[in-house]
Amino acid sequence: MVRVIATRVVRLVATLLAVTFLTFTMLEFLPGDPVNAILPPNAVRTPELIAQVRADLNLDDPFFQRYFAWLGDALTGDLGQSYVTDQEVSEIITSRLPITLQLAVMGILLALILAVPIGILGAYKQGKWQDTVTSAGVQVGLSVPNFIFGIFLIWLFAVNLQWLPASNWNRLSDGLVDNLKTAILPASALALTQMAIFSRLVRADMIGTLQENYILSARAKGLSNRFILFRHALRPSSLSLMTIVGINFGALLGGTVIIETLFAVPGIGFRLINAINQRDILVIQGITVFIAASYVLINTLVDLLYSALDPRIRRS
Amino acid sequence: MTSRRTLRLLAVPLALGLFVAACGSDDDDDGGDGTTATTEASGDTATTEAEGGDTEEGDGSDENAGGEGDVEDQQESVEDTDTEVEVSENSRSYGGDVVYGLEAEAVGLRPWEDTCGSPCLNIQRAIYDPITEQTAQGEYQGFLAESLTPNDDFTVWTVMLRDGIEFHDGTPLTAQTIADMFPIQQAGAITSGLIEGAGLVGVEATGDLEVTYTLDSGNSAFPAVLTGQTGRVFEPTAAQSEDFISNPVGTGPFVLESRDLDNATTVVRNENYWLEDTEGNQLPYLDSIEFRPIPDEGTRLDAVLSGTVDMMQTLRQGTIRDARDAGGDFVLLEFQGNNTGGGMFNTAVAPYDDVRVRRGLTLMNNQEAVIEALGGTGISLPTTQWFSQDSPWYSEAVADAWPEFNFEEGVASLTEYINDPARSDGKGVGEPIDVELSCPPDPTLIAAMQVIEQVWSGSGLVNVTLTQFDQATHINNAITDIHQAHCWRWSSDEDPSISINPFVAPPEESPVNFPNYFNQDWFDAAIAAIQTADVEERKALYESIMLGLAEEFPIWYSGGTATMVMTEPQIQGINGWLLPSGDVGQGFPNAEVRWHEVFIAE
Repeated sequence: MVRVIATRVVRLVATLLAVTFLTFTMLEFLPGDPVNAILPPNAVRTPELIAQVRADLNLDDPFFQRYFAWLGDALTGDLGQSYVTDQEVSEIITSRLPITLQLAVMGILLALILAVPIGILGAYKQGKWQDTVTSAGVQVGLSVPNFIFGIFLIWLFAVNLQWLPASNWNRLSDGLVDNLKTAILPASALALTQMAIFSRLVRADMIGTLQENYILSARAKGLSNRFILFRHALRPSSLSLMTIVGINFGALLGGTVIIETLFAVPGIGFRLINAINQRDILVIQGITVFIAASYVLINTLVDLLYSALDPRIRRS
Repeated sequence: MTSRRTLRLLAVPLALGLFVAACGSDDDDDGGDGTTATTEASGDTATTEAEGGDTEEGDGSDENAGGEGDVEDQQESVEDTDTEVEVSENSRSYGGDVVYGLEAEAVGLRPWEDTCGSPCLNIQRAIYDPITEQTAQGEYQGFLAESLTPNDDFTVWTVMLRDGIEFHDGTPLTAQTIADMFPIQQAGAITSGLIEGAGLVGVEATGDLEVTYTLDSGNSAFPAVLTGQTGRVFEPTAAQSEDFISNPVGTGPFVLESRDLDNATTVVRNENYWLEDTEGNQLPYLDSIEFRPIPDEGTRLDAVLSGTVDMMQTLRQGTIRDARDAGGDFVLLEFQGNNTGGGMFNTAVAPYDDVRVRRGLTLMNNQEAVIEALGGTGISLPTTQWFSQDSPWYSEAVADAWPEFNFEEGVASLTEYINDPARSDGKGVGEPIDVELSCPPDPTLIAAMQVIEQVWSGSGLVNVTLTQFDQATHINNAITDIHQAHCWRWSSDEDPSISINPFVAPPEESPVNFPNYFNQDWFDAAIAAIQTADVEERKALYESIMLGLAEEFPIWYSGGTATMVMTEPQIQGINGWLLPSGDVGQGFPNAEVRWHEVFIAE
């Protein structure tokens, strides 16, 4: 097990290094000079001022020197400072992370609440009309981009029914109900694709599980279908679901970018889009690396957990 | 030579800011002040009830194929809207909270330091008062100032402040306050350039309430400078503190209560505000304003329609069209203004150094098709100059002189160049010219540029390459002359000298002479226009420059750009707010609201 962990950690470090390097490189090759974005449009761009800004930000240093300097600082938790707002990048991330986490958690929970019954129903009624209908619904969920679904939700629940706000974000400190009112639509938009993925997985696993001998045995004992489905079949079918949930949770941290922008939710993704528009390079780097690191870290943890739970995987 | 110095960098912010603001980002400056100019500009506003008959004609999505009839239809549609700035006749009432959806977040609220576009200025105008303001007729009057008096050659301006005004922290506003602001402004990222451009070399307290501004050359339009960022008054001692970012101190009608970046900025009533309404009631009326950045245009509109916010701004013609179509009992405060889209040729580069090429390409620019691509059909009109039709600076002579879309004449002009053995681009006789047309990567701008590309390419005489750069790079390319044909926005609702004078100054002295075209007569006219206070004389001088543009074509136009503030019907006082003199202010140009008289009607 120690060897497995060591291998995963080495891979994790290598992946993170690759992510940081690629992020740094891509930003380096963006057209245009970041100084143009840093200076206000009406600033008098004298050569002296431009030289001073470049010197302040070490923009004239060689690429690798800047990369390793940034990496060294990042390892100590110093991701630099926003050119635009003067805030520490780490502070920007930590102040917005709870919002993005809340959306991601709510999105996953909503997806699970819907996906598990739909998946079970599809498996239990395999080939029948219920399966056809749920499969079609799932297909739609997979096909429709979440921002399109978000626009539909705004149109339905905000503009027409006027049950929920179209945008804005109430913090938890404003009260749980007020917070949930602003969180439910973006979380639902995030949940759609996840729900579709999860329900397909549950359905496929359940179909396999329901053909196991111990299920036939349970049926022979006269146990109710509900008991068999939820107590005997669902549990063994949940392992791969939990794996995917873990992996997708990491992906959702980055996947909230469009939804946060659409609903004006002040999470990490919203700040990332603003930073891109403002060409606030250190913020872009910091948030991108944070999202990538979260994704890789969660993947690694899931791998390790999986290995711990299933010796066959560990051996392979 | 001093005049040239004054013009150097004059109103860089305005020219750049307007371009940027029109493109919808908050990364830009309003260009609010820069320099010069007095008297009449225009505030052409249009108030439209969304349910009213005006709105149906406003859509016109099938219109505008390019024929003359379409232009008339379009013009009729725009003219159907009420173009008067009107003071609400409803009785004022105190209280109420307003939630306002902005198109972007305001990065910072320090007038001297932080980049501030239209969304940001909506917030700043609640917190800070300007020294001067513009009336609906385009004149500049004192706001915090009681009076402004120039010397004979307009190089020294004596400003008398109103008595009894206090900052949010209780500090009294004195002449020394303004003098103490000056060093901070000179070092500020925003105001340093504005001060240099205005030729402002000294600010001195010459009495308790008397401030003396000294310029390095005469400028009859100096009061316009004090309407923008340079004239936005902050408490200089508090400004030294890092806490100022979260606790800005101005004299404005509202005090910052809380700021949650990217989410909500809340200001509450300044209980000690100095200004009263015409009946002696203390302003402001509202209890609070909450500013919410909602970058997605559709969501922002839905937020108003659903009641999530009470009002919104937009700088996009497509959103104005959607708001008109949306129905509901909303008030659409549209503003045509003097801002026109278009582009420029870098005349320092072949083949744009030849007027036959510039004229040919301009003649082949179908403005109605471009307006349609921008979503402005029935909202914006084709333009012929830097001023809209209801601007006092508008010239019929220029309107007649600017050529209409004429493909055949354009082809003829280009053909003459192409078949000239001495053509400036060095290509062989009969070979098409190469044009690189550049724009920021905004979907509507790209669509508009594609329209132009198709028409130019369709002549068979032009090889067009479209390029895109992010907005900051696009602007810098213009400043540093790394461009050929470049989409841009021209003019503003401030005094013409702010945008025109630096535009016609020698390119080596003025980085905002983007086309690098210099005409001594135009420059002399621009200088003369800031050395006289005679309005008619100034009009004639600027008209002569506009007529020159219609002969030399360093730039082209692609139609006016409308902005809009959309509100719940009970929110009033945005249109027709008053200056301390009792004159009506300029309304809500560029979707920027003055808050001191906004109220919720019962």
